[in-house]
Parts: sequence; C-alpha cells; structure tokens
Amino acid sequence: MIGGGVVLAVLGVLLVALGTQFLRTKGWSALARPDGGYLPGGETGVQHEEKQAGLLRWLTTVDHKDIGILYLVFGTVAALWGGTEAMMMRTELLTPQADVWTAATYNGLFTTHGITMLFFFATPVFFGIGNYFLPLLLDADDMAFPRINAIGFWMLPPALLLARAGLPADALGKILSTVGIHIPILDVLHPPETGWTLYAPLSIQTTNPQVDLLLLGLHLSGIATTLGAINFIVTVVAERGEGVGWDNVDIFSWTMLSTSGVVLFAFPLLGSAVIMMLLDRNFGTTFYLVEGGGPILWQHLFWFFGHPEVYIIFLPATGLVSTILPKFSGRRLFGFRFIVYSTLAIGVLSFGVWAHHMFTTGIDPRVRASFMFVSLAIAVPSAVKVFNWLSTMYDGRIRLTAPMILSVGSVGTFIIGGVTGVFLAAIPIDLIYHDTQYVVGHFHFIIMGIIAMMMLAASYYWYPIITGRMYDQRLARLQAALTIAGVPVTFGSMLVMGALGLPRRYADYPTQFATLQQVASVGAFVIGVGALLWLWNMVQSYRVGPRVRDADVWNLKESGQFTREWQWFEEQLDERYAADGGETDD
Amino acid sequence: MHRALRAVAGGVVGTLVLGFFLLVLDTQARGALSVAGVVARFLGVPGRPVLAVALFVALAVVGWPALFVAVEEYLPFGPDPAARGVVFAAVIGIVFVVVGRGAISGPILVLYVGFAMLAHLAYGFALGSVYGRLAR
Ligand code: HEM
Ligand SMILES: [Cu+2]
Repeated sequence: MIGGGVVLAVLGVLLVALGTQFLRTKGWSALARPDGGYLPGGETGVQHEEKQAGLLRWLTTVDHKDIGILYLVFGTVAALWGGTEAMMMRTELLTPQADVWTAATYNGLFTTHGITMLFFFATPVFFGIGNYFLPLLLDADDMAFPRINAIGFWMLPPALLLARAGLPADALGKILSTVGIHIPILDVLHPPETGWTLYAPLSIQTTNPQVDLLLLGLHLSGIATTLGAINFIVTVVAERGEGVGWDNVDIFSWTMLSTSGVVLFAFPLLGSAVIMMLLDRNFGTTFYLVEGGGPILWQHLFWFFGHPEVYIIFLPATGLVSTILPKFSGRRLFGFRFIVYSTLAIGVLSFGVWAHHMFTTGIDPRVRASFMFVSLAIAVPSAVKVFNWLSTMYDGRIRLTAPMILSVGSVGTFIIGGVTGVFLAAIPIDLIYHDTQYVVGHFHFIIMGIIAMMMLAASYYWYPIITGRMYDQRLARLQAALTIAGVPVTFGSMLVMGALGLPRRYADYPTQFATLQQVASVGAFVIGVGALLWLWNMVQSYRVGPRVRDADVWNLKESGQFTREWQWFEEQLDERYAADGGETDD
Repeated sequence: MHRALRAVAGGVVGTLVLGFFLLVLDTQARGALSVAGVVARFLGVPGRPVLAVALFVALAVVGWPALFVAVEEYLPFGPDPAARGVVFAAVIGIVFVVVGRGAISGPILVLYVGFAMLAHLAYGFALGSVYGRLAR
C-alpha cells in the first residue's frame, strides 16, 4: 500500500550511489576527498583539559567565553527565526494580492520579525562577540561580574519565549488538539499586529493577550541588556591588564564601551515606558490615552529609546569594520583617535534626534526644526568613519579574504544606508517618504548591510580562535559575495518602490509594483541561501574542519598586527600542542 | 555499538529534527497547507493523515536509516557520514517535495519547497552525525 513516493526515493538514492561509484571509477576524486577529511574526535583523540562535561557545563558556566558562545548561539537561533519571517513576507509580496496568507498574518509577520531581529538577534550577537573577545583584547581575566554576566544571558531565552509565545502556543495547541486535548489559552495567543513600534492607541486597544506577554518579554530583555552593559563598562574601566592603558584600548572595546553607555540610558527608559503601557492595558491608567499623556507621549518615550537602540547595534558593527579592515589592508587604522571621538560623539548625539521619527505627527515646527539639525549633524561623525576606512584602504595591501570582502561590502552598503538616511532627516523629504518602503529600504541597508554583514565578517575572522579549526574559505567568499549582491537588489528595490509612493506594512499592493517586488524577493532569497551556506560552513567546519596549528592564521605578524586576542590564542595552541610534541592528530 | 543500532539512534534524532522543521512549516504556513496531507500523498495514502504520519515516523526512524547503512559507502562526499547523510536525505527530500506537492501552488510553493528541503537536509545531517559519533 505504500505508494510511489517511497519507492521513488529509494530508487533515487540507489541511483546517486551507483552514479557516484561510476564517477569514482572514472577518477572523479572530488566526490571522495583524497585528504580523507578530518573526522571529529577520532582514534587517537587526546582529551585536553575539560570543564564540567555536557549540558551541565553550559547551564552553570560563568566563563566569559562560554557565555559569549551562548549569546552567539542564541542570537543565531533568533536570526533564523526572524529570517524565516522575512522570507515569508517576501513570499507574500511575490503577488499583488494578499493571497498566501491574510493581511492580519502579514501584520503579525513584520511585527515579530522586527522585534526578534532587533532585540533577540542584533543586540545579543554583539554582546556575545563582546563577551568572548573584550577580556582577551583588554588582557582581563574575565568580565568584571561573571555571575551577573550569566544571569544577564539566562534572562534572554525566557524573554524571547514571552515575546514570541504566539507561535509555540499555536504549535503546541495543534499537537495537543490532534490527541484530543484542548487548552483555551493556546487558542487566544496570536502574534501581535502592532508593528515593533507598538504605537498607542492600537497597542492599548488590541485585546490579544499576547501583547501583554510581549511587553513583559521586552521588559525582561531590557533588564538583561542593561546588566550586560554595566558589565562591559566596568570591565573596560577597571579590569584592563597591566599593559593596557587608556591610550591603547583597542577600537572594538571603545565601541562596546560607547554602546554600553547608550544602553545604560536607553533601555531602562524602555522598561518604564513598557510598564506604563501594561498598566494602561490592564489597570485602566491613561498614560497614553487622550485623557492622559496622549498617544504622542508613547512616541516620544519609545523613540527616546528607539533611536539610541539603532546606534546600540550600529556602533559595534563600526568597531568591527575598524578592527578587521586594517588587518587585510596591511595598514594601521587611519585616524584612530578621530574614530574614537566620532564613536563617542554618536553615542551622545544619538539621544538628541528621536523626534525625527515624528515629523509627521504635528509636533511644534520649531521643535521639529531643531531635531532636523541634530539629525543632520549626526551624519558628520558617521562620515568621518567612512573617510577613515577609505583612507585606511587607500594604498594598502588589500587581501580579499571573506572577512575583508564583507568589510568592504559593509562600507559600501553603509554609505547607501547613510545617505538615504540624511534625506529622511530633512523634514520636507520625510513628509513625503514617511511610512513608505523607502524607509524600510533605508534602514535595511544598515541593519542587513553593515550590521548583519559585520557579524558574518567577525564570525569568519575569529572562527579559528573560537573553534580551533578553519572553515571552507572558498565557500565563505561565495557566501560573502551572495550577501553583498543580495542586499542592494532587495533593499534597493524597496528604496525605488518607496520613492514611487508605496507605503510600508501592507500585504497587498497595486499591480504596477509587481516586478519590483519580485526582484526584491529574489534578492532576499539569495541572502537566505547565503545564510544557510554560512550555517553549514560553521557547523560542518566545527566538526571536521582542519585543525589550526599556527595561530597566525591571517599573516598578521608580518604587518605587526598580531593583536592581543591572537597572542592569547597562540599561547593556548602552545599549551595544547607542546605537551605531545605536536604529534597528536585528531 | 552495532551499525544498525547506531543508525536507528541517528534515525530517532533525525526524526525529531525533521518533525520540528515540518511542524514549523505547518504552523508558519498558517493553514495555507497541511504537512500531514503532504506526507499522506508522499506515502500514497491520501486522505488518511494520521496513518500517514505514523508510517512516516516509522520510515524515518527505521526505514531510511537502514537504507543509509546499506548505501553509505557508495555515497559521495565521504568519509564524513554527516555529509553523506545530507546527500542521502537531499534525494529523499526532492522526491518528497515533488510527490507530496499535490495542489500546492502560487507563492507558497517557494516556502513549501524551501522548508521541506531544509527539513530533510537537517534530517540527513542529524542522522549521519549521530551515526558517526556513536562509532567511537
Ligand atoms: C534578508 C534579510 C531581510 C529581509 C528580506 C527583510 C525584509 C523585511 C520586510 C519585507 C519588512 C516589512 C516591510 C513592510 O511591509 O513594512 C521588514 C521590516 C523590518 N525589518 Fe527586516 N528584513 C531582513 C533583515 C532584517 C534584519 C537583519 C533586521 C534587524 C537587525 C531587520 C529589522 C526589521 C525591522 C525593525 C522592520 C520593521 C518592522 C515594522 O514595520 O514594525 N530586518 N523586513
Ligand atoms: Cu532615528
């Protein structure tokens, strides 16, 4: 009775097996790697100093490197979840009608996509990188408060679950209902449809209880982020090793310090604002109702947090460019001090621009104008950075490794994202572009461009330190190229559509936009495929990638750029391999 | 551990992964397609989703691993069993997607193909890597 599918599958497998054998007899060696690969562990596998084994180690660790890895894994999971939603949105937008899902589902998608990406992907990944590398870069023994560090991380999974309870509740409800069990609460939790900005009055009138859980989740994630930020600040200020004075703190630590400073002032405010919204929703207060503070109050509070938040995730990305780009240009970072100053300047100025998100709300035109000027001014320190990066590369000895390709691509996409942003800061232009796809295109050039791309670059650059192995560099370069190509195709189309007047946050659109939307979707799928290649490369190389024996993976000694984290790595390798005289193989 | 046992252990882990991905597809699709229906068409028992899912689990826990053990040596990209498992499952995945498709069409086809393939690739990876790991 078992039908054609299974038989076909068996036949297919046999065919591949036979075909492979046939090609092998013809000498197609690529299918059976001559070097035999490197299986994990292996016969002579000598176990080196181990911490607590297995799951317990990960649940109880207070080691900054382990916590860093936990952050990175968590962030990756969130990215894949939010990325799935991005792919779903791009699928819905392939046709002008809302014919795959309902418009309500689309609303849920962009809301949860935005929240997942910003709070549970971007921030945690940079905190993970910071946790792993800041102590190494600063020659500190560990983070200043290891236990608080662990607590800060472990608040995130429940926060994510609270914020995103809609989908797991759906799935659980489905499974349980097939076996006849019915739990009502599972049916009423739907993904919120408020947008990540949670504007009043919609967010207060919505009856969906998932909005309350989301607010609690955001609150929890805010506490977690603040704890992490305090830890970074104290670590940089008080835990630096003997040889590390303020004069030679590296650029990535500087950006993490600035970011943490911004977190300290932004996230607690979000926490309070969110609690007030919870009260409005459940206890009859009127903070954001017309009778009380009014809906505009929410917008002010939200964006007083929200704009700094975008710099919270942007600054570490610039720190990574400033770290990685010079290494593959064979030159010192041009104008180090000015980059540090511009980073600090952005940190401060980021609190003075929030109302540029509110130009169309009817706030006082004089207030509006002042926010326009500050917003234009903040472009200057960003431009300083770009100038310094370009000058660093100028006349340098460029080596196009995967991290370098991504860094150069990041500078490029950041220029587009930044310049389109300057236009939005101009009131007359914003009045036209506000709430169009132009805005979505603009911020994705930064968020997917420099931010996500520099995370990828960092993963390629430091991979050997974290895993002790090397990845497939050709695949990495291909992935870098795919991502860099996908970003302008996807988000450039959005810029054009927005300029033509297409509003954002709609599942359907006039038919004349169909072609541009399809181009955007194809670009998004290219980025998606790239992400899967990255995942494969990371996981598979962790298992069977060639072991790194020489810590100078990138030939940094030659140009005198063998920085502290690599020196630490060299010591580790010496310890690991000295004992057995370098004889032990996998 | 005996090869067959190792393979079944891999099959169990793989099935959990496969099930997870297919469940995500089912919930993310929000009723626009039914994975149980796809599985039923793939197994040639359309209209009987419960039976189909039970059979499918048995197949993924025992059937595919058995076939994998039989053909492992002949598959490309060895000697890493995980890489071989991915190739192995990719073939099954393609057949699954084509035969199980039924009337699914339009934009959601993209999501269906992408996720069903991903589910199978992850299955093959889990199957192969557990199988290989237990060898030590
Ligand atoms: C391949 C990558 C990505 C694609 C294809 C994508 C696509 C989209 C789409 C189609 C929308 C909704 C547009 C609308 O109808 O209004 C959106 C919104 C958004 N995305 Fe992405 N995105 C990607 C990556 C990211 C990343 C990496 C982040 C953050 C780190 C991010 C953050 C956001 C935010 C904050 C919104 C606004 C949500 C709202 O309107 O409430 N996206 N994205
Ligand atoms: Cu802003």
